[in-house]
Amino acid sequence: MALNRKIAYIDLTSGKIEIKSIPLEVRRKFIGGRGLDAYLLYNHAKKGCDPLGPDNPLIISGGILTATLASATARTHIMAKSPLTGLLGSSNMGGFFAPELAWAGFHHLVIRGQAEKPVYLFVHDGEIEIRDAQDLWGQTTTETQWSIREELADEEVKSLVIGPAGENLVRFANVMTGIKNSGGRTGMGCVLGSKNLKAVAVRGSQDIQIAHPVEALEYNKRFIDQITSSKVNQTQGALGTPFIWGATNSWGGIRTRNFQYNQLEYADDVEPERIDEIAEETIGPYHMTGCFACQVHCRAQYKIPSGPYAGKYDEGPEYTSQGAFAGEPDCKSAETVLTGNHLVNQYGVDNLEIGSIISWAMELYELGILTREQTDGLDLRFGNDQALLEMVHRICTRKGWLGDTLADGGVPASEKIGKNSFDYLIQVKGMSNLHSDERATPALALNIATSSRGSDHLRSRPAIDLYHLPEKVLRKIYSSPVAYDGPLSSEHTSYQGKAWQVFWQENCYMAVDCLGICKYHTLFLGTTLPNFEDWPKVIYYNTGLEFTPREIWDVAERGNMIERLFNLREGLTRDDLKKGDTLNHRYFDEPCRRGAPDVVGRKIDRDKFTKMIDEFYQHKGLDPKGDPKPETLLRLGLENEPSHLV
Amino acid sequence: MPVDDKKQSTAEDLRKTRTYGKFRCHNPSCMGRLQPEALQQQVKCPECGMEFRVHWIRPDFPRIRGPVWEVNRKLADEAFLKLEEK
Repeated sequence: MALNRKIAYIDLTSGKIEIKSIPLEVRRKFIGGRGLDAYLLYNHAKKGCDPLGPDNPLIISGGILTATLASATARTHIMAKSPLTGLLGSSNMGGFFAPELAWAGFHHLVIRGQAEKPVYLFVHDGEIEIRDAQDLWGQTTTETQWSIREELADEEVKSLVIGPAGENLVRFANVMTGIKNSGGRTGMGCVLGSKNLKAVAVRGSQDIQIAHPVEALEYNKRFIDQITSSKVNQTQGALGTPFIWGATNSWGGIRTRNFQYNQLEYADDVEPERIDEIAEETIGPYHMTGCFACQVHCRAQYKIPSGPYAGKYDEGPEYTSQGAFAGEPDCKSAETVLTGNHLVNQYGVDNLEIGSIISWAMELYELGILTREQTDGLDLRFGNDQALLEMVHRICTRKGWLGDTLADGGVPASEKIGKNSFDYLIQVKGMSNLHSDERATPALALNIATSSRGSDHLRSRPAIDLYHLPEKVLRKIYSSPVAYDGPLSSEHTSYQGKAWQVFWQENCYMAVDCLGICKYHTLFLGTTLPNFEDWPKVIYYNTGLEFTPREIWDVAERGNMIERLFNLREGLTRDDLKKGDTLNHRYFDEPCRRGAPDVVGRKIDRDKFTKMIDEFYQHKGLDPKGDPKPETLLRLGLENEPSHLV
Repeated sequence: MPVDDKKQSTAEDLRKTRTYGKFRCHNPSCMGRLQPEALQQQVKCPECGMEFRVHWIRPDFPRIRGPVWEVNRKLADEAFLKLEEK
């Protein structure tokens, strides 16, 4: 059954492999997936370890529900100390890898050490081999996966791989599986590259015994109905995640020209409907596909319609690619978005980070902070599509002074570029912000400022705050499973009650990451999607483990706190612009200039923002400096960490 | 059995509040409900004057594709001018 999936400890330096069970006590405290990964990282990483050194443990996992009869349990989580931020490294991706890992007998892999030469791991039915990967080195992400399948003579092998960006130690390189499933953010692909680990291949045929199969199937029908009947998922199934970018751009929540504007005007060619037309023209009417056990099918398939890469097949683009290759660099061509998306997938690099960092460089170039000599003659103006795509190549191959400099990430690059370049870098904790502009939405600003892995929308964003829901609906949602009778506001430009919403969402997202479920199957973009009250049934029917909604909340809170403990141990301080819970000064100083009339003029009020952080810390049980109070650690059972239970 | 299978969760219960055929104006302090005619391609908010292009996911399911750019720019410029005058 799901509970008998194991942890494997693999030392790439010595070649030693140990396989252990996961004690029930640990399951009850952390469930699995990201929560248990955070526990493992805190326990197995030494304070201050070099993110690119052998002591940085790389942890790969599925959730407790992965490959059971539950829906959308496709998510793979990857964790290590981040080479981009020096803090928590964490990424999460869909596809088919995690279920295969579970069928091979494992839920967690902890990979330490450093191989002398390129290797890959082959995990199959309870066994793990370290295999030579010298022939794979230099291959793109797609080529690598097919080469492994050929070598193992099995087309059903699923691999998690790095591309040239990871090999070249680009600090924001991705781990990839399939065509476009990306363990992006925080540079986990760079950690694989530093270990000379090209890939992890898995193949499994071990059954997962379901605790109550009839009830699990019956309940899953109800769960699927909940998923597929939601308007947001019906929209995702039609247009994919680009619809989010389109809607956000409509009211003025998309950062443009790095951070000079908050809307990409006349963006018709990169709107989701246009991208959908291209997918239909190049693939056909059935161009939407999905991950393992998912009914939403939010992923488009397409071929690049024109230009030097015309005819190349790819998947997506996600809304992050619209931000990276349209909004931020002020480009308005579908061809550029689809080509950029293809390049980042093949190189294995974070589209969000690379788009942000190039747009930052564009602003520096236009301001004269970066010279033409430093760009090696490249005219790095906003709106120059060719320069944008050329910079993708240069960063991923570390070509030229600027390509090599930007490949190290924004904060180190700002130190190398000098002058006041850092003032223009839109980042939190060393990781570039999403393509969204949060100046009109205080809750979203708080979310990115306090997110454990650096600026991020998938750790605590209360996206439903944008829907103008009646306060009684908000209260129904946000007062369960923990009673809450404090303020809540349905006005998304308000500061009232937003700290609680962010805290609630932080726990909601940690919970789904422990279960191994996609965030589009929980209360992220739709109010009627499953959350704490729904999950005990899924867990019980599939695994036999009994949890109350409150107990799942406690697990999530514990997971978030151990991530914070890790960050504090690595130097997080509240007001540090490079390692803290705060925002670039432009959020407070420069008003929005585009979008809906009531968005124009909005910026974040510094005093109110500080008060929101105070409130958020109170909800989390932190002191005003952001350190956990002793009673909080006691309440969460974390007073003896690191406890080395596994 | 430790779970009550019959009881609806909060999320399930909220399904009764769902509406089709309408969307909200994207102007934050307006957020008025707009209901375009069947397959109408453009709609104007009677409250704040914003105009939107409409995309139909299904014949009963419209969404805002984006603003009408000329109107959007004009309203934004006017709003910014007002702020500068203050």
